[in-house]
Amino acid sequence: MPESFDALACDLARFQRARIAGFDRLCKGIRDFERASDIPCVPTDVFKLTRVATFPEGEETAIFRTSGTTIGERGMHAMRTTDTYDAGALAFGRWALASDLGDRAPLVVSFTVKDADSSLGHMVELFRMQIGGGDGGNVLEGDVFDLVRLDEMVARAAFEERPVLLCATSFALAMFLEALDGEPFPLPPKSRVMQTGGFKGKVKEVEPRELRLATAKALRVDERNVVCEYGMTELSSQFYEATIQTKAPHSVYFEPPWARVVPVDPETLAPVPNGAEGIARIEDLLNVDSAFAVLARDRVMRVGEGFVLLGRASGAPPRGCSIAIEEMMG
Amino acid sequence: MIERLIEAARSIASDAPLHDRIAKSTGLSIEGVRFAIERCLETDPSEEEIATLVKNAPRFEKAYVLLSSTVFTAALRAIAVARAGSPSVVVHPSRRAPDFAEALVRAAGDPEITVARDLDIAEIDRGAIHVHGRMETIERIRAVAKVPVLAHGPGMGIAILGADADLDVPSAARDLADDVVPFDQRGCLSPRIAFVLGGKKERAEAFATALANALDHHPVPLGALTEEERVEAARFIQTVSFAGVVKKGTGGVVGLSDTPVLPPTGRHVHVVYARDEARLDAFAPHVTTVGIAGTVDLGIAPEHARVARFGSMQRPPFDGPVDRRTP
Repeated sequence: MPESFDALACDLARFQRARIAGFDRLCKGIRDFERASDIPCVPTDVFKLTRVATFPEGEETAIFRTSGTTIGERGMHAMRTTDTYDAGALAFGRWALASDLGDRAPLVVSFTVKDADSSLGHMVELFRMQIGGGDGGNVLEGDVFDLVRLDEMVARAAFEERPVLLCATSFALAMFLEALDGEPFPLPPKSRVMQTGGFKGKVKEVEPRELRLATAKALRVDERNVVCEYGMTELSSQFYEATIQTKAPHSVYFEPPWARVVPVDPETLAPVPNGAEGIARIEDLLNVDSAFAVLARDRVMRVGEGFVLLGRASGAPPRGCSIAIEEMMG
Repeated sequence: MIERLIEAARSIASDAPLHDRIAKSTGLSIEGVRFAIERCLETDPSEEEIATLVKNAPRFEKAYVLLSSTVFTAALRAIAVARAGSPSVVVHPSRRAPDFAEALVRAAGDPEITVARDLDIAEIDRGAIHVHGRMETIERIRAVAKVPVLAHGPGMGIAILGADADLDVPSAARDLADDVVPFDQRGCLSPRIAFVLGGKKERAEAFATALANALDHHPVPLGALTEEERVEAARFIQTVSFAGVVKKGTGGVVGLSDTPVLPPTGRHVHVVYARDEARLDAFAPHVTTVGIAGTVDLGIAPEHARVARFGSMQRPPFDGPVDRRTP
């Protein structure tokens, strides 16, 4: 019989506590863990300040970094190996994005980033090689789309009767739709879109539903084949809408069996009653060498078997003229 | 005319019912209100300071002054700067905490200074608007204003403790606590981060301990924290517990690490043992004042920032806006 989530979580937290001095300090007063909820969460901010890793510097095979803030801070997630990350990303990505395609490998095209230290870039490349057929690729360089290459790739996929899996950040997708200026850009039948990330720091913002509808219309894909992904550099697991596999509505994200999203009270960090809004405490068994429980800045609420994202935590408007943390983070 | 405002400030400084109303609307303790008046209200500026303020005041045929809440004493300087440059001034106090500004205007009795609780920004077609507030407010006003908008946005103070071996650390910590306490640290002059030069963790820890102690023993009790402050405080404590050390007391929270963290307002200070002074640069655009103790090379302070000794950060000369960044 496999070990329970709680048992694995506690073992993992003991392992991390023994190797990460900062986490041990966070556990002050806790003798041992009996269940996952006993394990203190590490705010994402910590990844900007210090190394969160169970192994010595120099032993990492990859370092993923967050995008910077206005004061130049970038969060860092060091990986001793990406094997666990890769296995989880592929398994759940395949389930969420391609399990209905059988043996037919989609052509994976991306509007993301080519940075070597982007976890999203790493994951999309993994999808291209392992879920797709190894062809396809990224067609976005900075703010410029390589439309000629995109045209060629999509034409080839259509000729081979292969669906396209387009992986794009929301901002890049909005930019692409704007470039199309209302003209359609049809993808082959059964194509799908994985949309991720928000519009942080960008001038223009588009509502998720509006973006989804516009994407489906422009690319001639079924609206249910436009799937949102929720992930972050500080984690090793990702979460998806399940509109391709299930009848679940859009906006509801599902966890893989090795991760949980628990809404917690932002002040006490204790779980809120089911159905209440809280800050996302993300428990991730794949974060073997960093932090089992990560405290995000996103507001979430459990809905049925999944959760919905309610935006960034900002609280009541601050009083006075001292600069607010959000104002400085940009 | 500026003297008239100063005289008005003097006359309302001891108005006890006004103190009660300010405490109620700002969430500050009554002692906090009195402390702010005693330490931050400019009731005795020099003639030279006033002359400089008048000389540098931006000239417009009419000035509209939009005030923010909590840092209630700032109304005096804001109105004085506007009045020095304009024959007619309309004051729009904060909706949440209008009491001090309204009392000040009333006491001044200057027929050319009026209060408008409601103001349609889009209807203003002459003069200029002086806005004191959050970036969000400033952007909203800029989007509809037809006249120049002089923005005084949010900022922060930073403190720098020199590496002098003979510096009295507990005394410096007590002085800095006097800068943290006014307005429960919600002012743009309020210190949020303290850099301890020299890169020695032990010294920084001694300073952090002394500062936590000074905040705990400060005679002015902490007022009510906002929900955002309480939430950010929980996150700050969790973050710094991992990345460094947290000293949490009844009078405030002091964090310590080798990397700067911006703590929330509400008497939270982060002490950094700075090996690399360049770290200050990242904060420079947001810094309105730099507090110093001991020997500090002032070249590391942003050019626009005011510089004061610990204990005087909240009392810059009455020579113009406290914030010298370009409006």
